[in-house]
Amino acid sequence: MERGSFLLPLPQPSSPLDFGNFTILYFATATSFTGKNVESLPAPLSLRKLGDVLEERYKGIREGVLGHSLVTINLAYVDVPEEGEDDVIIQEGDEVAIIPPVSSG
Amino acid sequence: MQHNSNDEHHSNSAATNGEQNGSSLRLTDEEFDRYSRQMIVPGMGKDAQLRLINSKVLIIGAGGLGCPAAQYIAGAGIGTIGIIDGDVVEPSNLHRQVGHATSRIGMKKVDSLITHLRDLNPLPTYVPYTYPISHENAADIITLYDLVLDCTDNPATRYLISDVCVLLCKPLISAASVQKSGQLIVLNCPPTPQGKMDRKYPPCYRCCFRKPPPANTQLSCGEAGIMGPVVGLMGVAQAGEAIKILASALHLLQSGSDTTTEDDPHNLIQPTLLIYSYDLNAAPGPYTFRALKMASRKKNCFACGENSPQTLTLEGIKSGNPNYIQFCGLQTPKATLPAQDRITASAYHAAREGGQLQNHILLDTREKEHFSFGSIDGAVNVPFGKLLMKAATIKRDGGDAQEILPLKSAEDPIFVE
Repeated sequence: MERGSFLLPLPQPSSPLDFGNFTILYFATATSFTGKNVESLPAPLSLRKLGDVLEERYKGIREGVLGHSLVTINLAYVDVPEEGEDDVIIQEGDEVAIIPPVSSG
Repeated sequence: MQHNSNDEHHSNSAATNGEQNGSSLRLTDEEFDRYSRQMIVPGMGKDAQLRLINSKVLIIGAGGLGCPAAQYIAGAGIGTIGIIDGDVVEPSNLHRQVGHATSRIGMKKVDSLITHLRDLNPLPTYVPYTYPISHENAADIITLYDLVLDCTDNPATRYLISDVCVLLCKPLISAASVQKSGQLIVLNCPPTPQGKMDRKYPPCYRCCFRKPPPANTQLSCGEAGIMGPVVGLMGVAQAGEAIKILASALHLLQSGSDTTTEDDPHNLIQPTLLIYSYDLNAAPGPYTFRALKMASRKKNCFACGENSPQTLTLEGIKSGNPNYIQFCGLQTPKATLPAQDRITASAYHAAREGGQLQNHILLDTREKEHFSFGSIDGAVNVPFGKLLMKAATIKRDGGDAQEILPLKSAEDPIFVE
């Protein structure tokens, strides 16, 4: 991670800077895997495709992180739809979070 | 004296270990004096304090979460406090495990923590279990308590505890922390019988995290490190949730029954995952707590869903089914170099001293913090995660591999430490 890179912003739906994008937050091992706390990705995006988009950017993230992580959109849990289930569309200005379980204590 | 009938039911069913001789119906002068500051808080009062005194809490793990949690559980006057942990106190625990002390290094953690707690508040009954929780003993111990705090440090134990709490109808307050991240969630509260699906019910650990992380990505605090205040906050928050639940008797409320209490428990039926991330590189604040709305009990959950009585039983757990170690230990296949391409540190040293290695690069792929403790002369530090990421970027966007490695010639051999 770059030192002093950025602060984790509070969600700012429809901020002008987010035009055409959604915000994605990475927690715990998702942070170490991507080297980021947060970034912007182009919206709209189908939730089912999110895994493909991230895998292309961060090779191995599907197996190493996404497979066991939970996903939230705008602070609420969402089920990542499987084949044949209704998809969810991530909209411009949404805040998505990738939250892997933490086990230590 | 006014007395909630729930208390009688509760204490009769829960007072099973013989440590407690029936439930108290009134406070002693000493108790009034000691607990007065929390009793006068709106929403508490004498009845809530009596409920705390007649409650039994099990704290599983006497480490970074268990120590701060236990301090407030004991301070608040919970009547019976069981603590289970098989470890002994080590110097590297003390920056975060505030219930231990330098003078007690080498002592069993449970005994050390109880020493500290007795000094804090001698009134509760403390029950030590100086061995680790296991699939064989979990149900026999958990059944003696009203509420469980999961303060453990590995996924296998987390799944085991959650499963047993579902089967025994115990609320579970689960917290975890590593490096700069903390998580907290109240599970199975109000406690709901396994398999009940006729409306929304609170989730269990498996409803939230269906699959454990691959074994090779699971990091302990010993390997990954942990900031004291991060784990401390989570432990204190666990105690806060426990006191709230016990004081308002939410643990006695059976979901789906007609039982009601004065306090509307609906806020607990909206399960919430609290996450805290603490960025060492950021300026002071903003405080990055996030409260995430979680889903309710899942229909297809292995432990609590519709068909779970067929998949998970106490007898099964005791006899090793499911196998928690296997469930959490499934390794993803690792690519390893063939033996002829590997070299031991001493053989490398000998070859270098003997002048057999002229042009080569020694790559140290540990994190830069580890590298800063010491490294082999001439080693280049590129943390493994960074290496993979840069490689992926180059693969996608094109670019020169020399951006990653300071290669003088593409023919130079690379040694990876």
